[in-house]
Amino acid sequence: MTLARDDLAVPPTPVSRWQFDAKALIAAPGLVFMALAFAVPVLMLVGDSFVDSQGLSLAGYRKVLGDPYYIGIIGNSLQLACITTAVCLAVGYPAAWALARIKGVWQVVLFALIFLPLTVSVVVKTFGLTIMMRRDGIINFLLVNLGFIERPMRLVFTEFSLYFGMVNVFLPFMILPLYSVMRMLDPRLMDASASLGAGPLHTFLRVTLPLTMPGVIAGGTLVFSISVAAYVTPGLLVGDRFMTMSQVMAKAYLNIRDFQLGASMAVIMLVISAALILASSYLVRSPGGEKH
Amino acid sequence: MSQHATATPPATETHQEPSYLAVSNVTKRFGAATVLDTLSLSVGRAEFVSLLGPSGCGKTTLLRLIAGLLAPDQGAIEVGGRDLTRVAAHKRNIGVVFQNYALFPHLTVAENIAYGLRAKGVPKAEQARKVENALGLVRMEAFADRAVTALSGGQQQRIAVARAVVVEPSLLLLDEPFSALDRKLRETMQIELRHILRNLGITSIFVTHDQDEALVMSDRIAVMNEGRIEHLGTPSEVYARPKSLYTMEFVGQSSRITGVVKGSSESLVEIDTPFGMIRAPGHFLTGSKVVVGVRPEAIAAGEGPAGEYNTVRGTVAEVIYFGSRTLLHFQTAQEGDRLHVELNRLPDTVEPGSAMTLRWRVDDSRVFPAPTEAAR
Repeated sequence: MTLARDDLAVPPTPVSRWQFDAKALIAAPGLVFMALAFAVPVLMLVGDSFVDSQGLSLAGYRKVLGDPYYIGIIGNSLQLACITTAVCLAVGYPAAWALARIKGVWQVVLFALIFLPLTVSVVVKTFGLTIMMRRDGIINFLLVNLGFIERPMRLVFTEFSLYFGMVNVFLPFMILPLYSVMRMLDPRLMDASASLGAGPLHTFLRVTLPLTMPGVIAGGTLVFSISVAAYVTPGLLVGDRFMTMSQVMAKAYLNIRDFQLGASMAVIMLVISAALILASSYLVRSPGGEKH
Repeated sequence: MSQHATATPPATETHQEPSYLAVSNVTKRFGAATVLDTLSLSVGRAEFVSLLGPSGCGKTTLLRLIAGLLAPDQGAIEVGGRDLTRVAAHKRNIGVVFQNYALFPHLTVAENIAYGLRAKGVPKAEQARKVENALGLVRMEAFADRAVTALSGGQQQRIAVARAVVVEPSLLLLDEPFSALDRKLRETMQIELRHILRNLGITSIFVTHDQDEALVMSDRIAVMNEGRIEHLGTPSEVYARPKSLYTMEFVGQSSRITGVVKGSSESLVEIDTPFGMIRAPGHFLTGSKVVVGVRPEAIAAGEGPAGEYNTVRGTVAEVIYFGSRTLLHFQTAQEGDRLHVELNRLPDTVEPGSAMTLRWRVDDSRVFPAPTEAAR
């Protein structure tokens, strides 16, 4: 019965921080691939953003950060990402909780319902949504025939359809990190809280939420950083009425052939995502996240 | 001879107010399995009662029902005259010390202890004073600002106890709190915890599968088997006068001798066994199959006065040396029947194969109906 003698645990051998560990070599194939497929293009992109036909210039950044039109587009993207993340969190948190607490066949069913849509292409899903939301689509058909509205209303190409579609696409990316944290959460902590006189709300705010915060931060970061760069869904569901940063980039490269503009926008987006990821990894480590 | 538990506890002087906690006819099913079967239990104020049984006997389920973490299918649970059957766990004021302690990993030691006080809206200054008292109670004052994850098992255990008692619960439930500790620490903690709870005068229900733990700590023990209480009594009652063969064999060591009743006189029965005729107190019909149980320490070497003692001859099958005492196993013709004898001093030369005469008091033999084939 020496199980609980954690004071007898062998302390890890002190290793100099920069001492080379041969185990790192196993990551070499992945690193080489990422260097070729990600690091090189990104560096080229960053380079492009500082160069125009005359040579070195900041014209791209001046354009993007100085023109209210482009500032508005950055605002659009941030707004889109914020609302998508918030709705995904609100909808995904209880779903992840159910997934982590349910057992047996129902867990399999829930898993399938939540993650099977990931196997369908975003384009297919989004087109499906537009068909559903058309004037003669099933939603309008139901609303009219059930007497909620007089005439079919406009759903496609509205911001509502955009958020609806975004949450549809990105919800699994919120649920998965939340689920993995909640699965590790000892249900007896909630029992202990109740036995100490704490009601469900107090338990949620003081125990459940702080302990699942790493999942909230991870899921939030993931959904935010991919939805801020969303291209297909906004393009198909609202088009030019709601321009996002990705659409500006695509236009700059494909239509107006202003490579510096596209590259500058890309670098700004990269900075937003990188800042968010750095901030979230700091948050997870600081008090409020897990203590060590 | 009732084989199953009776609802009312035997009257002993330890509980003037016999039902501070009253569990009445509680039934709990999980799917098709009946985990608790119309179980009743009354516990007096400030009493320490252990629920003792093997895993799967329903003792933890009973604990969770009392705590309000599960709802019974039938029956009622009262504490101090208040019906709690349909009251939510957080409104019951019943403290729980969990098996793995369930300390909040994101809070410090002091924050863990203050948790219940804070939930109940106790003013800050009073919180601090009570937390300090509770830390003193479990001798952990120096650890107030540590992270609970940095504590050893024994230290976590102390904090779990402090956290549960600081809110002054009307009842304290302990779910195998020592099972994760090593033997030496466990023995120290048992005595210390009992001392703390006695001083606080908290009524406590203690779940364990360890009979020694139950014997050491309890005012009374409820021996549980398959969702029922087999025997509720003081440790000495349960050990010395078990009401069922199950209790006799689950609590402490015992020998089992099967036989058939050949005759009875007054309050004694004569039983024909592979060891010869044995007498024991009890009332059984002639011809009934019975099992005689004897504690190993009740048996001595050599003959005794025929009126008071059962005397048998047997062949030693095994000699097990423990230092302060020696355990001998005696063989019989009956498969599975072995007479276990515990001797403090070994007579001259004893080795497997040697024959010995043994005796025990007639009063020390307990007779039970032989278990039916289906039950075994």
